[in-house]
Amino acid sequence: MTGYVQFVDTAKSFGPVNVVRKTSLGLDRNSLVVFLGPSGCGKTTLMRMVGGLDEPSSGSILLGGEKVVRPDRRRGMVFQSYSSFPWLTVEKNIAFGMRYRKDLDGAEKAERIGHYLDLFGLADFAGSYPNRISGGMRQRVAIARTLAAGSDVLLMDEPFGALDALTRERLQVELRQIQIREEKTVIFVTHDVEEAVFLADRIILFSRRPASIVADIDVAAELGPDRPLEIRETQKFFELRNKVLHLIRNETGAVV
Amino acid sequence: MFSSLFVFRGRASPMVEFAVSVAAAVIVVALWELAARAGIIAPQFLPSPSRVVIALWTMLTEQNLLWHVAVSTARVWIAFLLAAVMAIPIGIMMSSYRIVGAALEPMIDFIRYLPVPALVPLSIIWFGVGEETKIFLLWLGTFFQLVLLVADDMRRVPQEFVEVARTVGANSRQVMIDVALRWMGPTLLDNLRITLGWCWTYLIIAEIVAADSGIGYVIWTARRFVKTPEVMAGVVVIGLIGLVTDQLLRLLHRRLFRYL
Repeated sequence: MTGYVQFVDTAKSFGPVNVVRKTSLGLDRNSLVVFLGPSGCGKTTLMRMVGGLDEPSSGSILLGGEKVVRPDRRRGMVFQSYSSFPWLTVEKNIAFGMRYRKDLDGAEKAERIGHYLDLFGLADFAGSYPNRISGGMRQRVAIARTLAAGSDVLLMDEPFGALDALTRERLQVELRQIQIREEKTVIFVTHDVEEAVFLADRIILFSRRPASIVADIDVAAELGPDRPLEIRETQKFFELRNKVLHLIRNETGAVV
Repeated sequence: MFSSLFVFRGRASPMVEFAVSVAAAVIVVALWELAARAGIIAPQFLPSPSRVVIALWTMLTEQNLLWHVAVSTARVWIAFLLAAVMAIPIGIMMSSYRIVGAALEPMIDFIRYLPVPALVPLSIIWFGVGEETKIFLLWLGTFFQLVLLVADDMRRVPQEFVEVARTVGANSRQVMIDVALRWMGPTLLDNLRITLGWCWTYLIIAEIVAADSGIGYVIWTARRFVKTPEVMAGVVVIGLIGLVTDQLLRLLHRRLFRYL
């Protein structure tokens, strides 16, 4: 097994409750991998272990060959709930990502803030507090903050789950573009099949709890790296979406 | 302009709300004045507001009331600040580290249910009848309540915020200072405002213990001679101090937490 992120016989229990069965998996660097599965199946727990926020009960997780033991800025989290700090402006929220970095001086930090404000279309709202901007913008702020921290790996736990359909689509397109442009590895947790197919280079489909891998689908081989919004209306996309839906019904016995 | 006042969960402008507050107070005082003048209740039980105002003026000009107010205010603020300085870190530690929580929570829960007057004899035995006893009794009424409120505030800091900070490289101390305390700021100030009010409510108890100064002493002395207007004037003064302090703290809240 190879990969930038490696799960090596990783399993997790909370007390008597077995949440993740022994799992081995390698994820390539600079790829966008979607963990798809029924709600509560344990996919978030797997992702949190990559973040160092939960510890495996057995086995380990390696990042670039190094064992993950605690959270650090190389693996940033983006949550479903709006996690922008309400007491900081948009600009300062992004700057918070670099607050504890000693390797950047003030000018470098300012340059990075400017870069991410522009990249996420937030420049006009730099001085606004999160309660003055939309939900979509708040999630942009959260992603920008994580990238500004210098994270190699973005761990995204249903980050667009609370957004309206149009904003969600727009952010999905932006995320694909930014992931490729910034060369980041993304683990994206969702139970939305359409979102998974649109975003993923690869979908890892999990069973009901305790989670185990039931399918590993190479989406990039079918759809390629570019994902304009129109791709959702193509025959290939429909077929792939249906294939994933069938797999979910047959392999997990679940309606996601 | 006023119609929104009658809408379920409606909103009104600050000016309208202020006008309603003043009007309600004027109506209550007017009814009180009428009831007193009509002789419905004997004046030694309920003197009219005008008699209370006259008593207040006499106390201000002839009985050094401002000095007593200053003494009481100093006592309340010393006890309150002591309570806050101790309760904030202890409350935070109780929620942050289970060993501290497990050790202190049962004890604090036990003590905070004890009525402060029941501890007056003990406090006299421990501290005598000087300032220490008064400060101790005021502190007692505030600290144990505040420490649990702070612990609750800390417990409510969203886990996502803590985890975001940890994944950008913050250590536990930095999470505490840069995230938890910042998040707690508004509710902490609210809780301080509320407990400061409680601290004032213990003033009479604290100032009847061999006191020779303070509003509590003035009220207690007036009571002995059934000078009801003076008793009520003392009570009104405490209420006014509370009202002004509360409004100032609300203003501070609005200034400090503009992002809310």
